Amino acid sequence: MPASFLLRRALRSGGVGGAVLIYLAMVGMLEKFAPLDLVGTALPLSRLLVLSAPAVAGYVAVRPRIHAGEVQRPTAGPAMAAGAAAGAAAGAVAVAWMVLVRTIGVDALRGIFVSVTEGALGVLAFGLGPAAGAAVLVPAAAAAGAVGAAVRHVPGPVARALGLALASTLLFALLQRIVPTVLFELGLDPYWMYDRVHGGLTYLGALVVLGVSGVGSWQTAARRARVERRIREVPPEARRAVRLVGVAVLLLVLWVTPQLIGSVLSEIMGTVGVFLLMALGLNIVVGYAGLLDLGYVAFFAAGAYTLGLLTGANLVTAFGLVPPAIVAHLDFWAAVPLVMLVAAVVGLLIGAPVLRLRGDYLAIVTLGFGEIVRILVTSNWLKPLVGGAQGLRDVTDAAIFGIGFRDPQRFFYLVTGFCLLAIFVSRRLANSRVGRAWNAMREDEQVAEAMGISTTNYKLLAFATGGALGCLSGALFAVKLGTIQPGSFEIPVSITALAIVILGGMGSIPGVVVGALILMGLPGLLAEFEEFRFLMYGAVLIAIMILRPQGLVPNVRRMRELQEEERLQDAWLRAQEARGEALTGAGEEGS
Amino acid sequence: MAKLKRSRAVSAPSRAQVLVERFPLRKVVQWSLFVLIALGVGLGSWKTFTLPAAERYTAAQWRDFVVLGIAQGAVYALIALGYSLVYGILRMINFAHGEVFMAGAYTSFFFADAMHRDGFLNREPAVALSVILLTAMTGSTLVAVLLERVAYRPLRNAPRLVPLITAIGASFFLQYTFRGLFGQQLRGYPRFDFLRGKWHPFGIPILRTQVVVLFVVALSLGFLSWFVAHTKTGKSMRAVAEDKEIASLMGIDVDRVIVTTFALGGAFAGIAGVLFALVFEYVHWFMGFFPGIKAFTAAVLGGIGSIGGAALGGILIGVAEAVGPPLLLAGAHVPSPFQLKDVVAFMVLILVLIFRPGGILGTGEREKV
Repeated sequence: MPASFLLRRALRSGGVGGAVLIYLAMVGMLEKFAPLDLVGTALPLSRLLVLSAPAVAGYVAVRPRIHAGEVQRPTAGPAMAAGAAAGAAAGAVAVAWMVLVRTIGVDALRGIFVSVTEGALGVLAFGLGPAAGAAVLVPAAAAAGAVGAAVRHVPGPVARALGLALASTLLFALLQRIVPTVLFELGLDPYWMYDRVHGGLTYLGALVVLGVSGVGSWQTAARRARVERRIREVPPEARRAVRLVGVAVLLLVLWVTPQLIGSVLSEIMGTVGVFLLMALGLNIVVGYAGLLDLGYVAFFAAGAYTLGLLTGANLVTAFGLVPPAIVAHLDFWAAVPLVMLVAAVVGLLIGAPVLRLRGDYLAIVTLGFGEIVRILVTSNWLKPLVGGAQGLRDVTDAAIFGIGFRDPQRFFYLVTGFCLLAIFVSRRLANSRVGRAWNAMREDEQVAEAMGISTTNYKLLAFATGGALGCLSGALFAVKLGTIQPGSFEIPVSITALAIVILGGMGSIPGVVVGALILMGLPGLLAEFEEFRFLMYGAVLIAIMILRPQGLVPNVRRMRELQEEERLQDAWLRAQEARGEALTGAGEEGS
Repeated sequence: MAKLKRSRAVSAPSRAQVLVERFPLRKVVQWSLFVLIALGVGLGSWKTFTLPAAERYTAAQWRDFVVLGIAQGAVYALIALGYSLVYGILRMINFAHGEVFMAGAYTSFFFADAMHRDGFLNREPAVALSVILLTAMTGSTLVAVLLERVAYRPLRNAPRLVPLITAIGASFFLQYTFRGLFGQQLRGYPRFDFLRGKWHPFGIPILRTQVVVLFVVALSLGFLSWFVAHTKTGKSMRAVAEDKEIASLMGIDVDRVIVTTFALGGAFAGIAGVLFALVFEYVHWFMGFFPGIKAFTAAVLGGIGSIGGAALGGILIGVAEAVGPPLLLAGAHVPSPFQLKDVVAFMVLILVLIFRPGGILGTGEREKV
C-alpha cells in the first residue's frame, strides 16, 4: 500500500478519533467516569476511554483495502507507523480543542456546554497541567494508536487469547461491587485482588486475572478441536444426562446467588430479571416473528395495572388512600393467568387491525399504541381507576403460604422462576411448527404466505405470546415495587427492551440473557453509567446494526439469513482467488 | 391428483367456513373499530354541542381552536417535509428527524439568547430573526447530514427494518447527546417584542406569532415546491426517487442527491424548530420526539412522499389535535380533555394506517415483491 495513501487514511481516522475524544469530553462522560478506578489508581475508566479512541483510530487506519480487485494489507512496520500517526492525530485534535477551550475560557463556555469543566480537561491532560498534559496526551495517543494497528498483525490464536484475557480483566474490574461481596460471603479474602479504598482491581489482582484467563483461553483454544471431537462422540443418552446435570448445577447456582450477593445486589438482579422477562417476550415478537414493536411498554403497563387492580391496591387522593373504582382481591397466583389473558386480548386488539401493515409502519403504529396507553393511565379521566399521575399504591404482595416476595432476595427467586419458564416456552416455541412458521414469515412474508402459512394468524400469535410475557414482567414489576407509577411506562422502556434484544442477537435466548445482564446490570451496578444509559442504548442500536447485525450471541439461523449475501460474496471471492492465476493471465476473458 | 381435486370441489364448504372466509377476524375487528370510532365521534360531538348554554364553547372559541390548530399544524407540516423527502428517496422512515428539528431549535437558542441579552434582538428584529433562522438551519442540516453519513449510509441496502432500528438508536443517541452537551433543564426561549399581542387580518384576531408561523411555512412550502419542480437538483432528486439505479446510469451522483435531500429536510426542520420555539418559548432535549412522531403522522396522512400531502396532513393533524379533545370529550364530561390531545393525534395515525395507508393524496403504493 502506498505510504501517502496510508498516511492520508491515518490522518482521517485520527481526526475522527479526536472528534470522538472531544465528544466524550463535551458530553460529560470523561469527567463522570473519572472516579471509577478499574486497576489501581492508574487506570480509571475515563483514561481507558481516552486511550481507546486513538487505539481504535489506529486499528481502523490500517484496515485492508480492496484495490484493483485485490486485497491489500499494509506490512507490520508501515502499519504500526500509520497507527501511531492516527493516534497522534487524534491526540493532536484533542489538544487543539483544549487550547481552544482555554483561549475562550472554561467558564465562558460552560454557559453553553454544561459539561466542559476543569475536570473533563484534567482527564484529557492525564491530571497534569495544560502544557505537560498536552505533552503526555499526544505520545500516549500515538502509542495507543500503534498498539491498535499492531493488533491486526498479532497471529489469530494469540490475539484471541489476549482479547479474552483483556475482556475478562475489564469484566472483573467493572464487577468491582459484586465480586468482592461474593468472595467475602464465600469466606475468602477479596482484598488482595480488589483495592479496598479505590474499588478497582489491585495491580496484583489485574495481573492474576489477566494471566489466568489468558493462559486458560490459550489452553482451551489449543485443545478445542479435540474437545469438540470428544463432545461429538458422546452418545445422545449420555449427552442428555450431562445436560440434566448442567441444568441442576445452574439451578443450584441460582438458588445460592441471592445469599451470596446480598440484598442490594439482589435488588438490582431483580430489576435485571424483570427486564429480561420483558426482553424475552419482545424477542418472540421481534426476533422470532420479525415484527418491530416499539410500543412494547403498553404490555408492561397493562400487566402492572391489571395486577394491581386484580390483587388490590390503593389510590392517593385528597381524602387519603382509597381503593380504585374497580378492584378485586385475588391471590397473586390466581391473578397471573388473568393478567396473561388480558395481555393476549390486548395483543389481539392491537395486532388485529394493524398486522397487514408493512414492517416500518407497524413499528410506528405500535409506538402510537404505547403512547396512548401511557397518556391514558396518566390522564385525569382514568384517575378513579388507575390513579392518574400518582399511580397506585400498596399493591398486594405475591405470596406462597404467607411468605411474601417483596424482599429483594426472595423476589429474585420469583422473577428467576418466571424467566426460566419463559426461556423454556421460548425454546419449545422456536423449535415447533409455530416457530418454523415464524421463521419462514420473517425471512420472506410473501413466500411464506405462498407456502400456505396464514401470516396474519401467526403474527397475531406472536403478538399475543410476546404480549403475555410483557404483561407478566409488568405484573412482577408491580409486585417488586409495591407501587405503580405511570412514569415507569414511558417509551425508554420499549427502547431498553429493544436494545437488549438487538445487542444479544435477535431470536437468540442466550443473547437476550447476556443483553439484559449488560444493559440493565451494568448501569445498576455502577451508578456512573446511569446518566449515560440511553446514550449508550442508542449507540448500541446503531453500532450493532452496522457492525454486527446478528448480535453478540447470535442465533445460528438468523445469522445465516443476515449474512446470506455476504457469504455469497465470500464464496465468489474465494472462487476468484482459486482462479486467480488464470484470471490475471486472461483478464479480458474473465469478465 | 385430479381425483383429489374433484372430490374437494364436490364437498361443499360448510356455512361456518363460508362465513369465516367472507369475514376474516382482521376485517371484523377493523370494521367494528371503525363503527365504534364513528359512533364515538358522532356521539361525542353531539353531546358537546348540546351542552347547557353556560358550559358550551362559543363560536369564537371554536375559531380560536381552529386557528391554533392550523398554526400548530403548519409547524408539523414543515417537519413532515423532511420525512416525506427522505421517504420518497430512500423508502425509509428517518425516525431521528424529530431530533434534527430539536437540534435546530437548540442551536438557534444560544444565538437568540445572546442577542436578547445584548438587546439586539428587539432593536433589529428582522436581522435577528434571520440570524436565528440561519443558525437553526445550519445546526439542523449539519446533524441531518452527519446522521445520514454515520447511521444510514452504511446500511443503504440492508433489510428494511435494519435502518429503522438504527434510526431509533440515533434518535435516542441525539437526545441524550444534547442532554449531555447542553444540560437537562428546560431553557426559556427569548421573546420578540413585536410578536406580542394579536393582529387582526380579515377581522379575525390571530396571535402575531401564529401569523409569522403561517407566513414562514407558506414561504418555505412554496420554495420547496419550486425547488423540486424546476431546479436541476430537484429534478435529479425526483429521478433518484423514481429509480436509484437508472438515475445513477443517467449520470446522477446518487449519494450526493441523498445527502442533499437530508440537508434540505434538515434545513426545513431547522426553520420548524425556530417557529416551535417562538410559539412555545422553550427548548429542551426531548422537545423533538413527539412533534416528530406527529409530523410523521402528518406525512402519512397526506400521502408520504408528496409535498402538498405533507402540508395538508400537517394542517389536518394540527386541527384534529386542537379541535378533537373539546369536540369529542368535553361533552362526555371527561376531566381535562386537553391531556388527551396526543391520543387524538395517535388515533388519527393508527386509523390512517389501517384504512388508508397511502394517505389522502397518496397513490396507494403496494409493497414490491
